[in-house]
Amino acid sequence: MSASVLSQNPVAAGAPLDVRSGKYLTFALSNEEFGIRVLKVREIMGLQEITAVPQTPAHVKGVINLRGRVVPVIDLRLKFGLPTAEYSQRTCIIVTQVQGESGPLMMGIVVDGVSEVLNLSDQEIEDTPDFGEDIGNRYLLGMAKVKGKVKILLDIDKVLSTQDLNGLNSILH
Amino acid sequence: MLKLEEIGHLIDDLAVQLVMRQPDAPIGALAGAWVPQLAGIVESARAEGAIQAAESAGSLIALLTATEAPGAEGLSEQLQAGLTELERAVREAGSPKTAANSPSLAQDPELMSDFVLESGEHLASIETQALMLERDPCDAETLNAVFRAFHTIKGLAGFLELWHVQKVAHETETVLDRARNAELTLTPPAIDAILASADYLRRWLRYLEAPGTNGPPVGGEEALLARIRGVCAAPAEPGGGHPEPDRDEQPAELPPAHPETSGAGPKGAPAEARRGSANAVRVDTAKLDLLVEMAGEMVIAESLVRQDPDLPTLKSTRLQRNMAQLTRITQELQKTAMAMRLVPVGPLFRRMARLVRDLSRQFGKRVEMVTAGDEMELDRTIVEELADPLMHMVRNALDHGLETPRERRAAGKTETGRVTLSAQHRGGQVLIEIADDGRGLDRERIAAKAIERKLIATAEGLTDTEVFNLVFEPGFSTAAVVTNVSGRGVGMDVVRRHIDKLRGRIEIRSVPGQGTTFTLKLPLTLAIIDGLVVRVGAERYIVPLFSVREMLRPKEDTIWTVKQRAEMALVREALLPVLRLYKRFQVTPASTDPRASVMIVGEVEGGRFCLLVDELIGKQEVVIKSLGETFKDVSGIAGGAILGDGRVGLILDLERLFKERADAGP
Repeated sequence: MSASVLSQNPVAAGAPLDVRSGKYLTFALSNEEFGIRVLKVREIMGLQEITAVPQTPAHVKGVINLRGRVVPVIDLRLKFGLPTAEYSQRTCIIVTQVQGESGPLMMGIVVDGVSEVLNLSDQEIEDTPDFGEDIGNRYLLGMAKVKGKVKILLDIDKVLSTQDLNGLNSILH
Repeated sequence: MLKLEEIGHLIDDLAVQLVMRQPDAPIGALAGAWVPQLAGIVESARAEGAIQAAESAGSLIALLTATEAPGAEGLSEQLQAGLTELERAVREAGSPKTAANSPSLAQDPELMSDFVLESGEHLASIETQALMLERDPCDAETLNAVFRAFHTIKGLAGFLELWHVQKVAHETETVLDRARNAELTLTPPAIDAILASADYLRRWLRYLEAPGTNGPPVGGEEALLARIRGVCAAPAEPGGGHPEPDRDEQPAELPPAHPETSGAGPKGAPAEARRGSANAVRVDTAKLDLLVEMAGEMVIAESLVRQDPDLPTLKSTRLQRNMAQLTRITQELQKTAMAMRLVPVGPLFRRMARLVRDLSRQFGKRVEMVTAGDEMELDRTIVEELADPLMHMVRNALDHGLETPRERRAAGKTETGRVTLSAQHRGGQVLIEIADDGRGLDRERIAAKAIERKLIATAEGLTDTEVFNLVFEPGFSTAAVVTNVSGRGVGMDVVRRHIDKLRGRIEIRSVPGQGTTFTLKLPLTLAIIDGLVVRVGAERYIVPLFSVREMLRPKEDTIWTVKQRAEMALVREALLPVLRLYKRFQVTPASTDPRASVMIVGEVEGGRFCLLVDELIGKQEVVIKSLGETFKDVSGIAGGAILGDGRVGLILDLERLFKERADAGP
């Protein structure tokens, strides 16, 4: 297929593929539903014993052994400044692969429970409303309304690489 | 036919199936459903012109069909990696900029890194062999080898459009070619020019390796070329100032090499190089490290199974036999994997030969370097890290240790000094010695300097070793003249820091008038340490055993509080600072009463101190793992390791704990 034919293809020519459409794994956190791209997910595992690392922020729960690899685990509730909750049967760790300073790295996030996998099209994803700051652009891919419920789509690379997420509270409260 | 966008969605689907499948469902079952879908992707991607995407989908099919063991854990990860790759390829094909600019061959990063690697090896052998040529400029075999090395670099550089590299390599090759044909004799200036050209090429390699951090070598190229051409132009007059008489006898008979010369220079280098290239493969070090790590994990997993409490209840001799077999194989596997990381120290020693040559001229001293134990193997990280400290010590030996020929004659020694580098195994460690037969360390001068620097009050009562060890203190230098190589007092403390980092120790022996010997004791590997597992509250930590001096249970009068602040412990009549680990890490201990705790006396650079923990659990060999960038700011923790029960234990960094003990508060 030659380049000239390729350039006539509407997808290739004008609008690049919308990076936001596709499959999302959604999970519950407090009263909200969040989604992250399925391709970022490496594994979903039940809660297991986490080794605490001293002198770290409260949201850093510690490290776990994932088949011989030492993987840090973050409590997303605490990271977002949401009220803490007892871990339950449904609580689980989603192991994600995110972009670190020096290449990809695995990181686990503790969430209240995994919900479902959603297939979202461009039409279903809206830009994050302007919250007065540029938080939306920084950590969120957008918002999706599915059956009347709002799902917050996280840019998990940015969420996990940013130390200070205080700004996000204003969206959630 | 699918559009790119639809392919993207299909990939998402596959990713979901992979993540959401039942954990115990065999992954091989996916293959049946996946292969047709992937085949569809290959076809559609091809039609859409997304060649990359088609290729990565194709390799996924290959992966699935080639796997004979369904359910393999590695497969799942490989598939995920493949899918990510495929998704990226599809997205890139969708964005307009990647239309059709095929990058030039010269820009291929893989070819470039191969070039850097291969040329680096050639340059290393050029250096060694050039030094051999200096002793015997007519050794045809060595001449040929150096010629071939430059020739190969020239060829590769031309292929990659590195014109500067090619030009210098070409000119040097011409010199060597003429020497090969007996049109020219390699005088010391010619050897210098060859070495200079190797240095120049090495600078280029450094630039090509990391263009971001190193600039391209600028300037000096013309001068270098002129110098090389100058060598070329010089007539091949016999006896041109070179002391070697046998040069005249054998001008240019190529094949029969002098057998006796191979024993003279750095031993066995060319033969070794030849042997190595024939039966070796080049493997990415990251893959190698992963293999070593996995082998380490396998040992742990095996011990988990072996110690399973349910196992003894199964009274099966067959099971026992098979378990024993598994244990044996696992240990063998780990040993083999570890051995793969080991490299001989010979090349490192040979690099020092070059340094000795250059420095001896600069200092006007006559020095001969002897090596022993070149074949001794060490972890490659250690060998790499050793280069700097070794260089410092060799410099010191030449600058301070060895005397000038006149001084040596006056002292009744041979005019030529001798520096010996040797390596040997001893008790699970590797000993590396750097010995010179120079004037030895001057106890009085070191003591005087130390008193002047207020490092000690008086040298009385100090043993020789204690006085000699003062040279490792920061800023210590007794050199009367500050030269540009050593004598600025930045040498030995840097050496000690390097060796500490490698978890090694350094010792000095010195006899006045007879010379000085530095002995480095290094572990075989950095990947595994012997750890002491301790408990504090609910947490377990691993204390590196190499810095543990003793362990004891404190009595009532062991711990003193000084000025209501710092706690000190009286251990063997020495007062040592006490660090309560639970305070430092803010965990709740089983007891705050020292009498119910265990005290570990640790020794680090700068002193000894006591670490208070709840109890000792045991000794375990652990594979050290980095905690990654998430925890790069955490101090006092050196890394993590998987403990016998599968949980992660944190390895303590005693050095940092000791240095920062004051910050922990009362």
